[in-house]
Amino acid sequence: MPGRPSDPGSEAVVPFSPEFRDPVVYPVHHGVRPPLLRVYVAWSRGSLLHVACLRQPSPEPEPEDSVDEGEAGGKVVEVRLRAGEEGISEAQRRRIAYGSVPAFALLQSRKNSLMAMSRMSSSLLRGEWWQYVLEYSKNISELLGTRRLSSNMVIEDPRMVVQPSEEPTSLKAAWELMEIFYVDKQSLTWLPERLVDWSEDYDSLVTRTELTIHSKLVNMQKKLANVKVVEDDPDYWEGMSSALAVGWLDIVVKLLRFHGSYQLDQLDNRETENGLVEAVAVLVSTMPRLRPDPSSGKLGQFCKTRPDFIKAWEKWRGHLSKLECSAFWVQCSHDQTREGLQKLLKIMLGDITNITSATCHWMELLVSHLLYIRQFMAGLEGLNNLAHKCRQLKPTVHYNGLMSLLIGILEESPEVVLAECSKTFGPWMVAHGIELLTAGSDHADVLLHEERYSLGGISIEELHRLVYAQILSSHPLTCQIAPTYLASCPKQGIGLLEILLYKQPIQHHQVILKNLEICRLYELDNISVNVLKTAGMYNWKHGRRGFGIYWLQLARDEVRLNRIAQQLFKCIGKSLSDDSFKQWEGLLELLGTQVGSSGGLEFLHKYRDFKRTLKQVEDGRASNAARQAAESLIQLMRSPSTPQQFWLPLLHDSVKLLNWKAHPLLSVSETNLLLNKLQDLSMGKLRPDFVDADLPPSALSSIRLALATNLGRAILEEC
Amino acid sequence: MAETGEYFHRFPQSKSIDAVRWLSAVSAFDRFVAAAVHDPDASSSAAAAAIEIHSLTLATSPLSPSIGEPSLHVRSSWPSPSRISALRSSPTPHKHLAVAAATLSGSLHVLFVDPVDGSIDSELSIADRSLHAGLVSAVDLLEGGRECITAGEDGRVNMVTIGEARLDYRRVYDSRGLVSYTAARWGSPMEFATGGLGFGVQWWDQRKPGGLVSQLKCNWAQDKATGIVHSIDIHPSRKHICMVGGSSGTIFAWDLRYQQQPILLSGVGHDGRRVSVSESEVWEVQYDGHSRSSSVTSAASAKILPVMICSEDGILAVLEQGEEPTELLIEPCAINAFDIDPQNPSDVVCSLEWETIGILMRPRESIIA
Repeated sequence: MPGRPSDPGSEAVVPFSPEFRDPVVYPVHHGVRPPLLRVYVAWSRGSLLHVACLRQPSPEPEPEDSVDEGEAGGKVVEVRLRAGEEGISEAQRRRIAYGSVPAFALLQSRKNSLMAMSRMSSSLLRGEWWQYVLEYSKNISELLGTRRLSSNMVIEDPRMVVQPSEEPTSLKAAWELMEIFYVDKQSLTWLPERLVDWSEDYDSLVTRTELTIHSKLVNMQKKLANVKVVEDDPDYWEGMSSALAVGWLDIVVKLLRFHGSYQLDQLDNRETENGLVEAVAVLVSTMPRLRPDPSSGKLGQFCKTRPDFIKAWEKWRGHLSKLECSAFWVQCSHDQTREGLQKLLKIMLGDITNITSATCHWMELLVSHLLYIRQFMAGLEGLNNLAHKCRQLKPTVHYNGLMSLLIGILEESPEVVLAECSKTFGPWMVAHGIELLTAGSDHADVLLHEERYSLGGISIEELHRLVYAQILSSHPLTCQIAPTYLASCPKQGIGLLEILLYKQPIQHHQVILKNLEICRLYELDNISVNVLKTAGMYNWKHGRRGFGIYWLQLARDEVRLNRIAQQLFKCIGKSLSDDSFKQWEGLLELLGTQVGSSGGLEFLHKYRDFKRTLKQVEDGRASNAARQAAESLIQLMRSPSTPQQFWLPLLHDSVKLLNWKAHPLLSVSETNLLLNKLQDLSMGKLRPDFVDADLPPSALSSIRLALATNLGRAILEEC
Repeated sequence: MAETGEYFHRFPQSKSIDAVRWLSAVSAFDRFVAAAVHDPDASSSAAAAAIEIHSLTLATSPLSPSIGEPSLHVRSSWPSPSRISALRSSPTPHKHLAVAAATLSGSLHVLFVDPVDGSIDSELSIADRSLHAGLVSAVDLLEGGRECITAGEDGRVNMVTIGEARLDYRRVYDSRGLVSYTAARWGSPMEFATGGLGFGVQWWDQRKPGGLVSQLKCNWAQDKATGIVHSIDIHPSRKHICMVGGSSGTIFAWDLRYQQQPILLSGVGHDGRRVSVSESEVWEVQYDGHSRSSSVTSAASAKILPVMICSEDGILAVLEQGEEPTELLIEPCAINAFDIDPQNPSDVVCSLEWETIGILMRPRESIIA
């Protein structure tokens, strides 16, 4: 699209997007002397942009000196655009793309086989289906990174509370969020706990601009390393209450044990204080939690069923209230400890003001509500209302992708979820996440599978797969996996796949074979024929004649093989005299002897045999060879595929046979055949497409004489 | 796979891996792998292709004390002027480890790698188009690394002598594009085999005038499954048999003593029956010294030794005459090349289409069994 440079004289090309209020300026160094007349911008391969800058052509011819400078009238600059998004490199992105192919392909094939037997009870299918989607989701999630401790953590630092793990990615956080809400039906009963776990893993990602409990704890940890008496530090108590508010019990317990009263030299004086700290630590570590897996290594007592949980919760609350009213608080001389511990107790008792002040942003507040106040929260509507309330209490200026995604999920609006996925996490996320969305609700299923007139009759799901496939096919390395996605698009996929295959390079045989393999997998026979033809012509033109013929033979392209044959005959007519035959040996082998498969080229095979026997005759071998040579001469002359231009050279070559001393080798009828051919030839001279053989002028007369002599001898013989 | 005791490790790279070869090791703990890499995203085409020397180390970890956890590190890298189309390493070290690489543009490069630290000490090359006009599809180094054959799509077969400071070449044959060669392998210091279109195989002897001694007719398969030879291997103890792998899952042995009857191990047979491990391109074949069935232990056996193959549809398998193939790997992407470590035949390195180097380690006990 042509455009004018923003400001004549400046060297900046300004991309403009309505999303940004202030356009971002990227200078492009094009080195063309201003003023620029026009700027053309066009997409090239992948994320490469071609920017063509043209100068105003001067009305009169340029003076000599400027030509000497090599001043160009314009220049084309390649601009590589990189998505600067959170450190996922291109290579990593490709790795994710590769890794998700098997999971995606498996899910699609399962979907197809389920569709095929959809006459069976649909409820059964539905049950089976979400198991498949869950498996798919787990595979993808594993691919996005496993949270493992970095290797230098073998020796554990006793003062380390927040484990430095490998930086989790937002992509994985978003994927897990969608898995929790859409796919994992088992987790619905303990949804609050899953959200707690999720926020523990990804709290650091939720906001980059604002404070999070994670960042608070990391800062506090740094500070604690240099502080001797931790309980005097207000940050210590604050960090602990924050961690408790979002349910990171192990961190809280660990921090409590740093309390100065545990030190042996102080234990005697601070016995009561220590008792209180320990009591709180025990209460924290025995908090009842409604979650099925006690193996997760987390603290708390796990209850699988709701009645168990209620019983345990009541008992635990009883302990809490009892401790809160305990008389020992009066004896605790350390103010900070008393206040801090009481605050922890209040949080556990679900005191809203304390919880609100302990958390940093609304998502943490929401988690905290789910932990201490609304443990039985079920259903998205209630959760959404709660989230809304939390957002009012802790307003956020800048909603990042994860926050918006969660809001979209809670509002049960697939459109918002999709838009967020696309905006923040890119086409990979959309193409793969749609499977989770459609499994999650019928509403989304209908919405995404509905064929839309505005999209040219395809569904939203297909649209996003097509978009993703196009991105894959724009890079030479990921191009190989695009067919998997295109094949899953019922309406336009195969059409685009055909275009993609046409556009593949055909310079090297390995690449061609890889493309043919794709054609074979998707049964695109007509495409493979066309690829073969293109490859054949390419190789032929570049002097690899054998390869050219090979590909064209595979394509069974009679027309081109015939044309090629004509060119070959011209070459052979000149060069294929005697010795250079060896050169052609391999090619002739390739051509084979079967009629019809190589467009008249099989003639060469017989021609070669004839020449070979003729050579034996010349070497003075037995008359047996001469008879054989005569036979193949007749065969060649009878065969319709022998081109006319070879008749005369053939006859000229066989003058020796015709003059064979011992006895005439050809019968009367055979000699007549040759004479007829000779006559045809002299008549053919008048035709425009006649090719004159490169023979001495005396050749014709010597052939005539030899034929006449042979005829005479044959007649005598036969009498 | 775990029950058979095989371990497969993937090492994702961030560029395409075109070929991999083991370099004969001096130390058993630190082994080298040469990989031909290509990065289409590189800023300039000159920086796109390279040969990387990786060192493979086995660190015993508390998780798997019996088998060390391998790790792969780049030791050195040599930028190639063009993408590499064929790579071979010398089977025996000769002061240096020699690696021969040929490129799409027709050049040949021989690298000398230090056997101790894996650095590239020197490099010799023929970089102009005199050697080959276009893609060199096959290169093979002779034992000892003093001589090398190259064969290309342009129909030339060259014999390159590797000197101290220069490479000299002699044209063995030039078909001037009338036929193309796609595979080459030494049989003995004087003989080698080449392969090409239509499953044609040629046997050359340097002592004979013209060089070509015998050839397997291209159309022996009678149009049922014609294809291209991708790889040839010749066992040092059975030099009269060429093991050939090519298109449509075709793997056959061509015995010079019975030239008219190639023995089909996989592919479409004369009766149209398909016995195959794969239906797609077989990119590489190598005799597998690790797999030995009881019937082959006697040297006089007429049976063909087990071979390993890799294919476009992601299969790495061991084939034996008259037996079901053993699939070692079934990958979702193509396996473009592999190499069996000549010194530790239990270990296989392979290059996967998805920018990954794979190391397969098979249990070593089975050699004794």
